[in-house]
Amino acid sequence: MRLRPDRTPAPVRRLSTAAAGADTVYLVHPGALDAEVHRTLAAALPAGSGLTVLDLSALPEYWEAALTGGRAATTVEDLAGRLAAELLGARAEDAPTGGSPTGDARPYTLAGWSFGGVVAQALVEQLPAGQRPRRLVLLDSIAPTDAYKPSDEELDPTLLLGWFALYLGAKRGTPVAPDPERLAGADVDRGLEAVLDAAVAAGALKAGTPVFGLRKLYDTYVDGLLRNNRLTTPYEAVPSSVPLVLVTAEGSLIPDDPTLGWEPLAPRGLTLHRSPGDHYTMLSRPDAAALIAQLVHAA
Amino acid sequence: MLVVTASEAQQWLVEKIAHKLGVEQSEVSPELYFDELDLDSTEALILAGEMENWLGFELGTTTLWYHPTIKDLAAFIAEESKTRAEERHAAAS
Repeated sequence: MRLRPDRTPAPVRRLSTAAAGADTVYLVHPGALDAEVHRTLAAALPAGSGLTVLDLSALPEYWEAALTGGRAATTVEDLAGRLAAELLGARAEDAPTGGSPTGDARPYTLAGWSFGGVVAQALVEQLPAGQRPRRLVLLDSIAPTDAYKPSDEELDPTLLLGWFALYLGAKRGTPVAPDPERLAGADVDRGLEAVLDAAVAAGALKAGTPVFGLRKLYDTYVDGLLRNNRLTTPYEAVPSSVPLVLVTAEGSLIPDDPTLGWEPLAPRGLTLHRSPGDHYTMLSRPDAAALIAQLVHAA
Repeated sequence: MLVVTASEAQQWLVEKIAHKLGVEQSEVSPELYFDELDLDSTEALILAGEMENWLGFELGTTTLWYHPTIKDLAAFIAEESKTRAEERHAAAS
């Protein structure tokens, strides 16, 4: 919901500030969960390291599309350009000299979660060569390649309801596991009844929560997914000029697919890792954060 | 479709929010921003869905963003409800 004017989210959110001479990791966040979720990663980084989130959900042209039917009046390239400017500004402020007109030339790592990884990869290619990260760490991001661009129709209710249950569990801090047999082939209303039953049983929602209330949350969640899908469809990614590191979650949105389609975009190398958790809880679980911290911090 | 006044909408919101938070209605100030009421975005959207079911028309999710207090939202709902009733009346006449 809209916050008080003095609490409007900013695109650059410093979750932890680096000590003098220490590295800062930058991470592109696409919303869905609050950017504060990355505090688990901030805590897992070596003492003195910084973590700055570049929050797409602070850009009105992006977040409003999740509330108005899933159509954003912007492009992946434009979003990447906006965040590239924010990244360069943040790095100039973080530079040891206290700010440099040519930017901070020290090596750094950029990461991106989910659709944030797609925008982060586009962002890297918009940066001047001397300002690019040493690597890009993708956290359960699905590549913007043709084979991995589903049509809206391919996002059927059974698939979406399963993802929605994961999302609801992450939002409420407790797993929500609806009966798969009730989800299989169900329409949205019947499927949401199964999700609601599981959420109430898990203590994620109060008993008596009406299904039409949950429908509003579901519709907004799906509009956010459709927005990202529709932004990705016309987007033609260029191969990465930096090495890619992909971390898939054990409970990824596309299970049992270790590359998520990134190979054609990784001429400088693609390293694969597996983290505990699902697409959402990989951000809040300390065991997943410990793995991710090693990957974003490695020299 | 229901036609409601601002005070009816405000009372409905106060009752629902007090129930969700497990507090007395007197503790829910209509002047506070929703985020000050300890109502997270999940609960706010579920509340929006309940509200639409009560009113019988869709408000649009951005309504909560652009009318971020109970008082603001209740005034908007009353205005919207009145406008829709007038449009329906005009269409029927």
